[in-house]
Amino acid sequence: MASSDWLNLRGWIGDSVSWSMDNVHDLLPSEDVDLQATISPPPGIWPNDIVIGPIFNLKDGFAEIQPALEGFFSATLVCTVVFTTLMLTMLPIPYIERKFIGRLMDRLGATTTLRSLWVGESGVTAGEWWNQLPFGMGAPIGWLNGLLNSIWGNDHSLEAVSRVNNRSYHGYWFLLPGFFQAFADFTKFAGKEHIVPRNADKAVYEVAPVIIISTTVIVFAFIPFGPHYYISSPELSAIFMMAIFGVAPLGVFFAGWASNNKYTLIGGMRSAAQLTAYEIPLLITVLGVCVISGSFNIIEIVDFQISEGNVWNIFMMPLGAALFLVTMIAEVERIPFDMPEAEAELVEGWWTEYGGLRWGFMFMAEYMRCYAACLLFALFFLGGWEAPFQGTMESLPVIGSLFEMILSIIPGIAWMLGKAWLLFAVFVWIRASLHRVRTDQILEFGWQWLLPLSMVNLAIAISLRVFIWDDGWGIVAPLAMILLGVLGFVILLVDEDKEALESMKRPYSAHTVVKASPGSHVDSEAVS
Amino acid sequence: MAEMWISMGPQHPMTHGLWTLKVKVDGETVVDTEPDLGYIHRGVEKICESRDFTQITTYCDRLCYASANTWSHSYIYAVEDLLDVEVPERAEYIRLIAVELQRIASHLMWLGAYGPDIGNLSIMVWCLREREMMMDLLQELGGSRMHYNFPRVGGVKRDLPHGFAQRAKAKLSLFLDRIQEYEALFDESTIFLVRTQGVGYSKPEEMVNHGVSGPNLRAGGVNYDVRRAHPYSVYSELDWEPPVERPSIKGADCYDRYRVRVEEMRVSASMVLEALEKIPRGADTYHEPGDPAIIAKAPSRAPEGTSGYHHFEDSRGESMFYIAGGGEGRGKQPYRVSIRSPMFITIPYASECMIGYKVADIPAIMGSFDPCIGETDR
Amino acid sequence: MGKIVPPEAQKKAAETLISGVSNISGVEAEIVERSSGTGIRRTVSISCPKSDWRALAEMLKEKHKVDYCSMVTGIHWPDEGPEKNWEVIYHFLRMGVVDPPIIDGVVEPIETDPEDLSDIQIPLEIEVSICIPETDEPSVASVQDIWAGADWNEKETWDLVGIDFDGHVGMRRVLQPHETPVGFHPLQKQHKLRYHDFEEMYDDAQGFLRKPADSGKTK
Repeated sequence: MASSDWLNLRGWIGDSVSWSMDNVHDLLPSEDVDLQATISPPPGIWPNDIVIGPIFNLKDGFAEIQPALEGFFSATLVCTVVFTTLMLTMLPIPYIERKFIGRLMDRLGATTTLRSLWVGESGVTAGEWWNQLPFGMGAPIGWLNGLLNSIWGNDHSLEAVSRVNNRSYHGYWFLLPGFFQAFADFTKFAGKEHIVPRNADKAVYEVAPVIIISTTVIVFAFIPFGPHYYISSPELSAIFMMAIFGVAPLGVFFAGWASNNKYTLIGGMRSAAQLTAYEIPLLITVLGVCVISGSFNIIEIVDFQISEGNVWNIFMMPLGAALFLVTMIAEVERIPFDMPEAEAELVEGWWTEYGGLRWGFMFMAEYMRCYAACLLFALFFLGGWEAPFQGTMESLPVIGSLFEMILSIIPGIAWMLGKAWLLFAVFVWIRASLHRVRTDQILEFGWQWLLPLSMVNLAIAISLRVFIWDDGWGIVAPLAMILLGVLGFVILLVDEDKEALESMKRPYSAHTVVKASPGSHVDSEAVS
Repeated sequence: MAEMWISMGPQHPMTHGLWTLKVKVDGETVVDTEPDLGYIHRGVEKICESRDFTQITTYCDRLCYASANTWSHSYIYAVEDLLDVEVPERAEYIRLIAVELQRIASHLMWLGAYGPDIGNLSIMVWCLREREMMMDLLQELGGSRMHYNFPRVGGVKRDLPHGFAQRAKAKLSLFLDRIQEYEALFDESTIFLVRTQGVGYSKPEEMVNHGVSGPNLRAGGVNYDVRRAHPYSVYSELDWEPPVERPSIKGADCYDRYRVRVEEMRVSASMVLEALEKIPRGADTYHEPGDPAIIAKAPSRAPEGTSGYHHFEDSRGESMFYIAGGGEGRGKQPYRVSIRSPMFITIPYASECMIGYKVADIPAIMGSFDPCIGETDR
Repeated sequence: MGKIVPPEAQKKAAETLISGVSNISGVEAEIVERSSGTGIRRTVSISCPKSDWRALAEMLKEKHKVDYCSMVTGIHWPDEGPEKNWEVIYHFLRMGVVDPPIIDGVVEPIETDPEDLSDIQIPLEIEVSICIPETDEPSVASVQDIWAGADWNEKETWDLVGIDFDGHVGMRRVLQPHETPVGFHPLQKQHKLRYHDFEEMYDDAQGFLRKPADSGKTK
C-alpha cells in the first residue's frame, strides 16, 4: 500500500483491539485449572484408570483464540465505524439534491450559478455566519454578500415568486436551513403502516427489499473512504463489488412481480431490461480502468493514480469516464434513465406497493447506490483521496513544503467526500435539466452505442497500458488523450445537420432558437 | 407476454385531471384504449336551467379552472347573442386582453405540466413562476387569481386599473424573454426531441372530422382559427396571425403541438400589447363600473322561442355555448344551456392516437393534447 | 389590420348552401343574423324533419363540405305541444380544412388568406334543428359514420337527455357512472334540482333539510 495518511482507522482499531486483548490475556490466571477426574472402574470391566475431564489453562487457551478474537472484534468495529461514517456522510446527499434542484428550478437557464453559497432564504442567510468571525473580519464578506444579493439575489419583487424561491425556511440556528428535512422524512416513513397487497406473493414481496438493501450496503464494504478507511480490500475488490452491485436488479424484479400490480410488473421488467443493458458496458468500463491501473483492487487503483509520474485516470480515459458516468446514472435509475419509476406513468414504478419503512429504506438504498456511484467515480477516475494537483503543488520550489504540510493535515477522506459530493451535484444537475428517455430508446442506446463504445474504450485502455506505459505516463500521453477527448466533445456538440434544420426535415431537427443567456431580458423598473 | 388491460385510473399523476384511461398493452405496445370520463360531472348544464343569466357566469369560470376567463367569455358571447346586445368597443378590448392573458396562463400551466410528463422537473417551477405574473395581471383585472367572474352581459365588470398598461407591458416583455429559456430547455434537448418527434401522429382532415380544433389542429399545418374564420370581439382590428406549425410528413406529432402552443403564447402576448395601444380612449383612462363605455344596457329576460350560440376559440380548441331562452323565472333563466367542450371530443381522439405506440408515449401524447377535465365533464 | 372573410362572400356562400339544401323536401333553411359583440355574423339555420335527417347530413358532408360537427344538443320540451316534444340541434362548422401538401418531402403548411377563398372554402356556421313529436323513446338517425366528432356528442346526448341515435355503435354512458339506472336521463324536465335556486341552498347551509343519497334503503 503506497499511500497513507494520518487517519489510520484500521490501524488504530487493530491496535486498540489487540491492546485490549493483550490486557485480557494478561489478566487471565496462568495456572492450570485442573478439572480432571479419575475413575477407577472395577478391574473386571476395565483394567486401567480412566481419566476424564479437561485441564484448562485459560491463558494459553486464550492465547490460541486471541488472533481470531482480535480479528473478529476489529472487523466488527471497523464495520461499525465505516458504516456510521457512510450514513453520516450520506446525510448531505439528500440535502444537496434538494437544495441544488431548488436553485436550478428557480433560476435562469439550465446552467446554475453557485449563488446558493451566498444567497439567503427569506432573510435567513445561514445565520449571517460571517458576523461570528472575530475582530469584525467578516464585515467585507457581509458587504460582498449584500452586493451579490442585490445583483443576483433571491428576492423577487413578486411575492409569490419569492415564496417559491424561498422554501425550507427552517434550519438549526445558523446551520443549513432545510437540513432536517431528511430526518423528518425518515421519521414519517418509520411511522407508516406496512401494507401487503392482497394477492401479493408474500415471501417474495418481503424478500425483495432485503435483497436490494442488503446488497447495496454490502457494496460499501469494499469502498475505501481513505487509504486506511475501509472495511475490506480483497485482491479482486473491484470485480467483487461490481458483482454485488449487480444483484440489486434481481431484487427490483422481485419487487415488481410480487406486488400483484400491473404497473409494478411493467416497472420491474423495464428495470430489469435497463439494468441488464447497462451492466455490461459498466463492467467493461471498469475492466478498462483495471487494465489501465494494473490491478483489480480498488486501493491499488487509487495508489496507481496517486503515484509519482501518474495522472488521474480521467485524463487518460476521458471516454471511459464519460461511459462510467452514463452507465452509472442508468444503473442507479436517475433521470434521464428513470423510466422504471417514471412517476408520470407508473406512479412509482416497481416500488408502488411498498410503504412505510420498507419504502424508506429502499429510497435510502437508491441514494446509497448513487453515493456509491459517486464514490466509485472518484476512486476510479479522480484519484481517490489525493488532492487535485497534489503532486504538482508539492514539487513547487518554495511553497511546496508548505502545501505538503497543509495537505498532510487534511485526511484523505476529506478529498474523497468532497469529490463524491461534487459529483453528486453533477448528478443532480443532470437530473434537473434533462428529460426522461423512453425505455426502448434507453435499451437501444445501451446496446447499440454504449456497448461498442465500451469495447473501444477497453481496446484503448489495453493499448495504452501495453504500449505507452513505462513506469509512468509521461507528459505526452495524458495531454494527447485530453485533447482527443475535448475534440470529440466539441465535434459532438456542434449540430451537423444544418440542412435538416433549414428545411425542417424530421426527426430531431430543432427550430433555431435565440439562445437564452443571463441578461437577455430587461428587468423593467415598472415591474411593481 | 399476453395482452392485458391496464387502468391508468382516476388517481394517476399523468392524467391532468380526474379520468381513467384504460389501455390494453401487449408488452410495452398499446393496442387499444378506452377513456372513461365523468368523474367530475357536476351537472352544470342542469344547474344553469335554474340560474339567472348573470349568475351562470360564475359557473362557467369553473368549467375549465385552468382557463377560466375563456370559458366565461365564451358563455357571455352566447348570452349576448341570445339577448341581442351590442357591446361597447372598449369593453371588447378589455375582454380581449383578459382572454389572451388567460390563454397565456393556460398554456404556461400546460407546459409546466407537460415537462414532468416527459421527465423534466425544472420547467414546472419556471412556468408557474411566469404564470404567477399572468395571474397577478388577471387579479388586477378580475379580483381573484383563478375564477374571475369578469365579463358581464353587455360589457365587463371593471375597467383597466390605473397603471395596468405599464405593468402589463413590463411583465409581458419579461415573459417574452423567458419563453426563450423554455425553448432552450426543450428544443435544444435531444432527449426531448427523441421523445416527442415521431410520436402521436394526427392529420388535419382526420382531426377536423373528429372534432378537434384549436392548437391541436394548427399543429397539423392548417391555419384555421375561430378568431379568424368567424371573427368576434376585436380580433379583426389587431394585426396577428394564428401560429401554424410545419408538421412532419405523417401528420402533427407531439413536438408540433408543443411548438404551436409556445408560439401561441408569443402571439397572445403581442396581441395584448397591441390591444393596450389601440384601446379606444387609451389604456389609462378609467371608467367607473357601470359606465356605458364599458358596459351596455342589456335586457335580462330572453323571450320564449329564442336561442343564441357562439363559437369561441378557447385555449384548447373551439368551445361553444348554446342557450335556449324562456326558462323558468319567466325568462330570466334559460331553458337549456348546452356546453361544447373541445376536450370532451379531443380526449377520445387522443386515446385513438395512442394506439401503436409504447406505454411510455402515453403521457407524452396525452399531455401534448392539453387535457383539462373540468371542461370535459362539466 | 387583420383580415377577415368579406361579409358579402360569406353571404353568398350561405345562400348557396341554403339553396342546395332546400332541394330536400321538408327542409327549411334561412340565414339568421346573429350578434357578435360589436359586429354581426351570418349563420345558416336549417330545420329538418326527422325522416330527412340522414339525407341532409350526407348532402351537407359530400356536396357542401361541412367537415366539422361541433355539438349535438338534445332538449326536452314537455310543454311545447305534440309536434315538438323533443328537439335535437346539431351545430356544424364548415372549416375548409384540407391536409397540407407535401413538396420535396417537406410539408408546406397551408396559410389561407381569408379574402381569397373560393366559395366552397368559406367558413360557415350551420345549425340544424330536428323536432321530434311526442314519444317515450325519441330517436334520430345517427351520423357517427359521417362525422366522427358526433360520436361522443351523441353518447352524451343520450346519456343526459335520453334521445337515442339509430345506428350508433357503442352507445354507453359517458358522463354519468356506468351503473346509472336504465331510463334515468337527468336533463329531462321532470327531474328537478335539489335546490331550486341559490337562496334555498344558502338557507340550508348545513344541509339539515337534505337526505343522504342512500336514505330509505335497507343495509
